[in-house]
Amino acid sequence: MQQLPLRNTLSMLNNTFLPGYLSQSENFEELPTQSDVVIIGGGLLGTALSYYLAKSGVEVTLLERNDLNREASGTNAGSFHFQIALHQLTDNMTDADDKRLAEETKLMLDAAMLWDDIEKELDADLGVHFTGGFMVAETQEELQVLRDKQRIEEIAGLETQVMTGNEMREFAPYLAPDLSGIAFCPREGHANPLLVGPTYAYRAHQLGAKIRTNCEVIRIEQITGIPGFRFKIHTNRGTILCNRVVNASGAWTAEISSQLGLNLPMGLSGLHVNVTEPREYFLEAMVQHIGRRLTLKQTTNNTFIIGGGWPSREEKFPLRYSNFWESAAGNAAVAVRVLPMLKDVQLVRVWSGVWAYTNDFKPILGESEKIPGYHIAMVPTGFTLGPMVSRMLAEYMSQPGAKGLIPNEFHVDR
Amino acid sequence: MKTFDLVVIGGGPAGIAAAATASKHGLQVAIIDERPTLGGQIYKRVGPGFKVKSAKEVGKDYFLGEELINELENSSVELFLETLVGTIENSAVVIVRNGESAERLNYKKLLISPGAYDRPVAFPGWTLPGVITAGAAQSLVKTQRVNPGSRIFFAGSGPLALAFPAQLSGYGANIVGIIEAAPRPGIFKALRILLAVIGNLDLMRDAAKYQFHLISNRIPMTYRRIIVSANGKDRVESVTHAKVDKNWRVIPGTEKTVEVDALCVGYGFFPSVELFRLLDCELEYEESRGGAVVKLDNWGATSVANVFGAGDGTGISGSYVAIARGRLAALKIAAELGKISDKALSTLAAGYQRTFSQRTKFQRAINNAYEIKSGIYELADNGTVICRCESVKLESILPVLESTIDPSVVKAYTRCGMGLCQGRNCQRQISALIAQKHGIPISQITQATPRFPTKPIKLGQIADATVTSEKYFIDAE
Ligand SMILES: Cc1cc2nc3c(=O)[nH]c(=O)nc-3n(C[C@H](O)[C@H](O)[C@H](O)COP(=O)(O)OP(=O)(O)OC[C@H]3O[C@@H](n4cnc5c(N)ncnc54)[C@H](O)[C@@H]3O)c2cc1C
Ligand SMILES: Cc1cc2nc3c(=O)[nH]c(=O)nc-3n(C[C@H](O)[C@H](O)[C@H](O)COP(=O)(O)OP(=O)(O)OC[C@H]3O[C@@H](n4cnc5c(N)ncnc54)[C@H](O)[C@@H]3O)c2cc1C
Repeated sequence: MQQLPLRNTLSMLNNTFLPGYLSQSENFEELPTQSDVVIIGGGLLGTALSYYLAKSGVEVTLLERNDLNREASGTNAGSFHFQIALHQLTDNMTDADDKRLAEETKLMLDAAMLWDDIEKELDADLGVHFTGGFMVAETQEELQVLRDKQRIEEIAGLETQVMTGNEMREFAPYLAPDLSGIAFCPREGHANPLLVGPTYAYRAHQLGAKIRTNCEVIRIEQITGIPGFRFKIHTNRGTILCNRVVNASGAWTAEISSQLGLNLPMGLSGLHVNVTEPREYFLEAMVQHIGRRLTLKQTTNNTFIIGGGWPSREEKFPLRYSNFWESAAGNAAVAVRVLPMLKDVQLVRVWSGVWAYTNDFKPILGESEKIPGYHIAMVPTGFTLGPMVSRMLAEYMSQPGAKGLIPNEFHVDR
Repeated sequence: MKTFDLVVIGGGPAGIAAAATASKHGLQVAIIDERPTLGGQIYKRVGPGFKVKSAKEVGKDYFLGEELINELENSSVELFLETLVGTIENSAVVIVRNGESAERLNYKKLLISPGAYDRPVAFPGWTLPGVITAGAAQSLVKTQRVNPGSRIFFAGSGPLALAFPAQLSGYGANIVGIIEAAPRPGIFKALRILLAVIGNLDLMRDAAKYQFHLISNRIPMTYRRIIVSANGKDRVESVTHAKVDKNWRVIPGTEKTVEVDALCVGYGFFPSVELFRLLDCELEYEESRGGAVVKLDNWGATSVANVFGAGDGTGISGSYVAIARGRLAALKIAAELGKISDKALSTLAAGYQRTFSQRTKFQRAINNAYEIKSGIYELADNGTVICRCESVKLESILPVLESTIDPSVVKAYTRCGMGLCQGRNCQRQISALIAQKHGIPISQITQATPRFPTKPIKLGQIADATVTSEKYFIDAE
C-alpha cells in the first residue's frame, strides 16, 4: 500500500483540488476473494462507511460500478441543510409535528458537529465553509412559517434569526427588497461534494480498506456451509465472499434489496441543477425559499449554482437523467425573483442527478432482521447527513449486537 | 402556438437548401440561425458597413451563396435570425431571440444543420494572442476585411489549408509560410483532391489559381511538418515547426523557428453534433469526417423519428454534399407529409442523389488523404493550457488520468470543459490523452453527457414565472 504523506491528499495544482484517491490506479486491481464486510456503492455513504469501519479495524471492501462519487454524491450542490425546510412541514402543524421537527433538527445539529471537525478528522481541505444560509419568504403566510420554525429550532438548539423590512434590506442588500422576510442561520454552509467522498475513500484505503471501481454488483447470493461467510457477491469482475453486506447504492438501494425480497419505503426523483457563468463574488450565504423550490449559491469559482428540487426526466441506466426546459425556466424565475441581478447572468449549462428519498424522510439505516448480515445505508438529505449516519452505522457494525446506537425509526424492515 | 411542417436549425448551405426546397413544395418552414445573416461558413456575408463591388474581389463562392440565399429570401420561409436554440423537446424547438424571452416553435419534422467548427489543437503557446484558427482568419477577412497580421504563418492540414492562405494572400496579406502535416500528394491525387475541394469542375480553375497564386507569390509551402510551439511573451513573436513521421509525431532535431506576428492553425473541422446528441440520435465514429458523426440514412433521416440532419454538422463532407443532402432531406420530408408523391420524390431526388454520391466519393478521397494522426495531440507540455475557458493546464489533468477512463471524471475534478465553450475546445484533447494513457481507441472513449443550452443564455430570458411548483425537493412530477 502506498503511503502518501498526509495533507498531500490534496494536490493544489493550478487552482484545482484533487483528492489523492484520483491518482491511485489501485482501483483497477483484482477483487479480493473474501472480506468481512462488502459495501455496495461508492457514493458519500459508502466511502464514509468504509473509512469509519477501516478505522475501527474492520476488514472492508467497497465495490463501485463506475468511478467513485459520480451519482448523487458527486452531482449535488454540497449544501448543509440545517434549517427546517418546506418538505418537513405539513399543512396543519400539530404538537406532535413540532416534536418531530425538533428531533429532526437535533439530528441536523449532530451532523453540523461532524462537519465542524471533518477536515481535521480527514486531514484535508474539503472546502468546508460555514457561510450561513438564508430562507426567504415572499408572502405574509410564508413569513409566519419562518417565525414558527424559528421557535422550534430554538428549542432544538439551532440558532436562526428572522429579519424583515429595513433590517433585512441592510443585512442582505442584494436580495429583492420586497421580500416579506428572511431567516438567517449562521450555522449553515457547504463543502465541496467532489472532494468529500473520494477523500474518505482515500483515507479508508490508507487504513487498509480495499476499493474497487468499475465493479458492478449483479447479484447477492445468501450462502450456507462456509463458516464465517453468509453472502456471495457476484460482480462483473468475479465473486467475493463476505460475512456482512452494506447496501449503500443510493438510488439503486431498493432495486438490489428486492433481489432478497425486501421492499424498501423509498422513491426516486431526478433533480435539475443550473450553473451560470462567473460573476464577481458577493454572495457568501446559501439562499433557500420557504415556499417555492429554490436553493441558490455562488461557488468559489464565482459561478451560481441554482437548484432546489425541480424535476428531471428519468432515463434508463447508464444514461443520465435528462433535463426539462420547464425546470430551467421555473427555477430561473424563482431565482431571478429572489436575486434580481441574476437576470443578466448567463446560464452555461444544466445537469441532473438522481435523488433517492424515503417516504417519511427518515434514513433507512442498520441491519435487516429478516436477513441477518444484510445492512442498508440510505438517507434523503444525504450530503448533510451522510457522514453522520455512516459513522453511526460503523459504530454499530464494529460492536456486533450492540443495541441503541441507531434510532428505532430508522429501522430497515419498517 | 404555431406548428411548422419543418423547422430547420442552421442557415448555412445545407439548411438554406433544405428550407427553400421544402417551401417550394408547399411546406410551412421556419429557419433558425444565431448569426444576423444567412449563409453559414462558406457563404458568410460581409459585415455591416461593407459592400461587395465585384466578383473578382470576393471569389466565386460569394455569388453561389447569394444565389442560394436569394432562393430562400424569395420563398415564404419564416426567418429567425439572431436566434439561439435553447433545447429541443416534445417536438418543439425552444428558441431565444435577441433580447426576448424563450418561446417554442413546434414542428412536424426537424432538420438540424448546424455546421462545423475549427478543430482545436493544443500546443505550447496556442493560446497566445496572434494565434488564431484558419477559419477565424478567413471570417475576419470575409466579414470585416481585417488581416490577422503583417507576417502570417499558416499551419494545418486538409484541402482548405491551401485555399485559406491563397484567399488571404489574395486580399494582400503577407504570408510568410505554409506547412501541411500530411505528405505532398502525388500529382494525380493532387488533381483529384483539388477538384473535390471545391467540388465543382469549373471551380477547379480557382484551385489551380490558389496553387498558382501561392507559387507566383513565392509563398513557401512544406509538407509533413507541424507546429510544435508558438513563442512570445505577450503575443506570438515566432513559431517553431518540425518534421513529423507518418503518425504526425515530431522527429527531434528537425525544428525550425520563423518570426511571425500571426499564426493561423487549421487542422480541419469538427461537426457540431451537440443538438443531435441532446436528442439522443445515434452517432458513429469516422475519424476522417471529424470523429463522432451522425448516422443518417440515404435521405438524411437520423435514428430519431422525424429528425433529419444535413451538412457538415453531421460529418464533414463539404458544401456541395451539404446542399445536396439538404435538398434530399427536404424532398423526403415533403413526401412524408404528403406534399409530393413517391414517384415525384424519386424523380426530383435523382439529380441530387447523383451529386451526393459523386461528391461524397471525392470528399472521402480528400478526407482520407488528410486524416488527422494521433501525434498532433501529444504536443502539449505540462504548462500548456488545455481548457482555455477555465485555464486548466496539462499538469492538473495528468494525475486524474491515473484512475479513470471517463472524460466526465476529468471534467468534474479539473473543470476542464466546464466553461463558456462547453468543451468544444478541449474535449477531444482529453479523449486523446485518455486513449493514449490507457491504450483504448479514441473512438471508444465516452463523451460528456449532453446538456442544454448549447450556447450560454441569460437567466432572465429563460425565466418563466408561469411554471410553478408548490412543493419543494420531492414529488418530481
Ligand atoms: C441534484 C441533487 C442535489 C442535491 N443537493 C443536496 C444538498 O445540497 N444537500 C444534501 O444534503 N443533499 C443533497 N442531495 C442528496 C444527496 O446528494 C444524496 O442523498 C447523497 O449523495 C446520497 O449518497 P449515497 O452514497 O447514498 O448515494 P450515491 O452517491 O448515489 O452513491 C451510490 C453509488 O452506488 C453505486 N451503485 C449503484 N448500484 C451499484 C451496483 N449494483 N454495484 C456497484 N455499485 C453500485 C452507484 O454507481 C453510486 O456511485 C442532492 C441530490 C441531488 C441528486
Ligand atoms: C470557419 C469555417 C470556414 C469555412 N470556410 C470554407 C470555405 O471557404 N470553403 C469551403 O468549401 N468550406 C469551408 N468551410 C467548411 C464549411 O463548413 C462547409 O463547406 C459548409 O459551410 C457547410 O455547410 P453547412 O450548412 O453544413 O454548415 P454552415 O455553413 O456552418 O452553417 C451552419 C449554420 O448554423 C448556425 N448554427 C449552428 N448552431 C446553431 C444553433 N445552436 N442555433 C442557431 N444557429 C446555429 C450557424 O450560425 C451557421 O450559420 C468552413 C468551415 C468553417 C468552420
